[in-house]
Amino acid sequence: MALPSSHSCFSSTFSSFSSKNQERSLFTRSKIDFTPFSRIFTRFRVLQRKCFNNGHLIPLENDFGDTSTVEGPVKHFKATHDHFSSPEQNKTTLSIIVVGASGDLAKKKIFPALFALYYEDFLPEHFTVFGYARSKMTDGELRNMISQTLTCRIDKRENCNDKMEQFLQRCFYHSGQYGSEENFKELDDKLKEKETGKLANRLFYLSIPPDIFVAAVKSASCLAASQFGWTRVIVEKPFGRDSESSRELTASLKKYLIEEQIFRIDHYLGKELVENLSVLRFSNLVFEPLWSRQYIRNVQLIFSEDFGTEGRGGYFDSYGIIRDIMQNHLLQILALFAMETPVSLDAEDIRNEKVKVLRSMRTLQVDDIVIGQYKGHSKGGKTYPSYTDDPQVPNNSLTPTFAAAAMFIDNSRWDSVPFLLKAGKALHSKGAEIRVQFRHVPGNLYRRNFGTDLDKNTNELVIRVQPNEAIYLKINNKIPGLGMRLDRSNLNLLYSTKYTKEIPDAYERLLLDAISGERRLFIRSDELDAAWALFTPVLKELEEKHVAPELYPYGSRGPVGAHYLAAKYNVRWGDLSSEDS
Amino acid sequence: MALSCPKCPSSSRFGIPQTQRTATASAPFYHFSIPKRDLATPMSSRTSNNRKHGPTCMREAITPVPVDEEEAPLENVENGLPAVRSNASWNTEVNSASGEDSTVSITVVGASGDLAKKKIFPALFALFYEDCLPKHFTIFGYARSRMTDGELRAMVSKTLTCRIDKRENCNDKMEQFLERCFYQSGQYNSEGSFAELNKKLKEHEAGRISNRMFYLSVPPNVFIDVVKCASKSASSLNGWTRVIVEKPFGRDSESSAALTRNLKQYLEEDQIFRIDHYLGKELVENLSVLRFSNLVFEPLWSRQYIRNVQLIFSEDFGTEGRGGYFDNYGIIRDIMQNHLLQILALFAMETPVSLDAEDIRNEKVKVLRCMKPLILDDVVIGQYKSHTKGGISYPAYIDDKTVPNDSLTPTFAAAAIFINNARWDGVPFLMKAGKALHTKGAQIRVQFRHVPGNLYKKSFGTDLDRATNELVIRVQPDEAIYLKINNKIPGLGMRLDRSNLNLHYAARYSKEIPDAYERLLLDAIEGERRLFIRSDELDAAWALFTPLLKELEENKIAPELYPFGSRGPVGAHYLAAKYNVRWGDLSAEH
Repeated sequence: MALPSSHSCFSSTFSSFSSKNQERSLFTRSKIDFTPFSRIFTRFRVLQRKCFNNGHLIPLENDFGDTSTVEGPVKHFKATHDHFSSPEQNKTTLSIIVVGASGDLAKKKIFPALFALYYEDFLPEHFTVFGYARSKMTDGELRNMISQTLTCRIDKRENCNDKMEQFLQRCFYHSGQYGSEENFKELDDKLKEKETGKLANRLFYLSIPPDIFVAAVKSASCLAASQFGWTRVIVEKPFGRDSESSRELTASLKKYLIEEQIFRIDHYLGKELVENLSVLRFSNLVFEPLWSRQYIRNVQLIFSEDFGTEGRGGYFDSYGIIRDIMQNHLLQILALFAMETPVSLDAEDIRNEKVKVLRSMRTLQVDDIVIGQYKGHSKGGKTYPSYTDDPQVPNNSLTPTFAAAAMFIDNSRWDSVPFLLKAGKALHSKGAEIRVQFRHVPGNLYRRNFGTDLDKNTNELVIRVQPNEAIYLKINNKIPGLGMRLDRSNLNLLYSTKYTKEIPDAYERLLLDAISGERRLFIRSDELDAAWALFTPVLKELEEKHVAPELYPYGSRGPVGAHYLAAKYNVRWGDLSSEDS
Repeated sequence: MALSCPKCPSSSRFGIPQTQRTATASAPFYHFSIPKRDLATPMSSRTSNNRKHGPTCMREAITPVPVDEEEAPLENVENGLPAVRSNASWNTEVNSASGEDSTVSITVVGASGDLAKKKIFPALFALFYEDCLPKHFTIFGYARSRMTDGELRAMVSKTLTCRIDKRENCNDKMEQFLERCFYQSGQYNSEGSFAELNKKLKEHEAGRISNRMFYLSVPPNVFIDVVKCASKSASSLNGWTRVIVEKPFGRDSESSAALTRNLKQYLEEDQIFRIDHYLGKELVENLSVLRFSNLVFEPLWSRQYIRNVQLIFSEDFGTEGRGGYFDNYGIIRDIMQNHLLQILALFAMETPVSLDAEDIRNEKVKVLRCMKPLILDDVVIGQYKSHTKGGISYPAYIDDKTVPNDSLTPTFAAAAIFINNARWDGVPFLMKAGKALHTKGAQIRVQFRHVPGNLYKKSFGTDLDRATNELVIRVQPDEAIYLKINNKIPGLGMRLDRSNLNLHYAARYSKEIPDAYERLLLDAIEGERRLFIRSDELDAAWALFTPLLKELEENKIAPELYPFGSRGPVGAHYLAAKYNVRWGDLSAEH
């Protein structure tokens, strides 16, 4: 097995179990039983009503020397690299099952990310990739489908085709219904074949609609869980549509899985600059002293897309932009931004702090939110459709495609600092950024050089998450020359000029983390609850009262209401200031 | 109005003269002792009053707006100076006068010298080119050599250049400028010659209110003679008279005090403009802007966050056969006691009450007086020796023909200095200046402390010192400001490195940055004293260095030799290490 024994992932799978007692007893037993291919094993599996949380205990088996959970990302990352030649490599194997293999996400993100990991030697030596979906397909057809979306990194073109070929050889397909235990049993048999008696770890990636989540989890857990390695399940949003449905979903998942097996993905957390947010804050002296209400006037989290639903609004219409972007992606970034310093960089420590800050937040009020929906617009002879023109969207849909919200954190660090969130489709630009606007300089000696608009002259830290990753700090600077005129210049770090290497896709990082058992970037159940608690009342109110969204033209800067919302809290949207457009 | 200069880069200041004037409370200390001849005219006293943070081109001549009556009492309150009000009323009078009625005469004493040719005349031309000089002005060269006006013009024209970004009309402009240049030859101690100069000046001033500026680009031993003659025989009778003096300002506390005393026999404090051209550098000017107009720096500006500050000057050439003057002074007097210490004072001073010259200089004096005088243990001196590299031989300092063979004059010095105040207690300020080093440049480096309880400690390896933030202000060449931060290297996993949040002037600002002399000449013409050194500043600066200089000389302490073109004597590293500092300019990354 390629994954080293000292790899943190295995140990972390079980090191923080909630139900330790039961597991320990099982552990002893399974240790005795541990002989691949032994009959006992199969029998044991039947006895235990083998769902993930039973079978899953067996990873203790691979306890040969492993332990270091505490080492965090650095260690596990390195370990993956360094230990390929360790003797254990022949004993374990990894199976990755992409459930919903014919879907868009699988094609565009998951398979390419897996290939990139393989290409960069991050996958264990022995691994198998299985596609699972309802459509009938042969292995060859799957490979053909996948190969169309695989790309080689710009900076490493050599051997790419060979590598691609090798990767595709490890890809297989199994067709079946998502709720069919039968079909998953067949999958299990095929997996076992490929695993050839090695210690098998299994990662299920559920890239399927939410209504069949639980059915798939149930079948997989009961019939295709690994018997003596770990079994983990990656789940994609939506995680419910409000507090109740989310809690229900969690409860259902937990019938078959324990917390440590659930990897709720929020791919924004895998973005390079979101990862870097904590590095900036906690590894530099110059930022942390400024990180509070004493110096920060407001924080803005902005997401925009320059296209609409493009005929695929069916799913979106039942969720809307608040659930689709704000309650998860933006709120997650906010939590990382605003949390207190964690005890360590361990997943649980970080997630504890995120939960704390989420719980310190005031529930969003309907007065503090502006919703919008794009309407048709003609420009330069070209006509852009309105949201309701989308054939999948009802003509009278009130679903917001734009939302701006002001949120507050009632703790000592952030009391009364407005956090403004904004997300929208069909806007004039696309991108995601974090803007930190600092306060005015008290007793500013250069006041007179600024003219009347002091707000324009405050410092601003901008973290541009995408596209064209950058970090810059706007400072006031003297314009070179005689006299004393000031303007704003940027202390700038543009990633593309400093770092020549291609930045990996968020999915690569997240998949690697899931394989390694690093949970830092995945959302824990209590985090999810806290996040929903903030948004559920306002979502209900909007829907119950049929609040109509403000219409804005396709390709515009969004509804004017967003400006008034900002003005209410003395904020100016940094992305719409004249200098940045 | 006649003197408006729309093209002058500082012209934006014209837009707000009223606010600048009225809202600023500044009366120089010397206001009460305005010389009689100055009081005869509203011009001179007004100029000392209305100097605000931004010099404007001839602001006095172009501010037709009377002082706001409501604001005037405020000034009184803040200054406790009743005189201000009368100044304010003078302003109105003068403002009613037209620019047609006044003129500025700039006399460059020592016109045939190097500095005059290379810096002063080109700077004056640049100001003219940018429309920053008043409409009526005359330039006189004064020196001992016999020369005609034409010869002076020919000499001057050779060093004039046009800005890269403004080539058009340059030759016409140059022609017009040279037409205003004249020459008067005479001895530096001859009142008669200065009287002749006075006569010629009057001719050109043609009855206008005359303001006169003398730029003394002469050796220190004739300073006083020139000042005496100029002040007695060539002062303006109805406008201001100002004198720009170049270093050296003495060679220790005593000689400096004597020089000041002598100057003051003939001049008032506010007529003396002691130039330190480092203060005219763009990024030194910007230092205060950075600190005081941004929220993000000032909270960090203290011993709580700053581990050490480094002020570094290096030249990559030696004395090149002209070490005669230098040998008498040495690098400490030539660079450290003035340029570096001035920058240090600006860096470390407390927030001034306003941007007025007197307020800023008050703070600089305060911080200089809080410093501990240098002690021998905290100084390393060096002298370059010859070195052969790639077949080329570089001479030793003592190979310079104008330098004695047994000279102990330091061509390199590094010093640790401390400020005993609440803000800076215990923070080492390291200064380093040297000739014949491997690079040239001037920079300020601020090294911040370690992150307390750093979560990412494991990602940094053993050398935590390398992982601290650092703010670098590169004064020259290739002006830049950058902040070194720790950043995640993009990619899977968690590896950190240091990246720069960068402001590179050449990339951000396309305009050529004016030479320091342009700014300083303009300021002197406008009576803006912010960038000139006041007598008490100078005293305080000498007080820090004089005991050390005496000890070095009395004990004939030999400098550590270092090869021409090297990184300087190793001693500088040990000095830094003594205070747990690493020179930022010599770290591996560079």
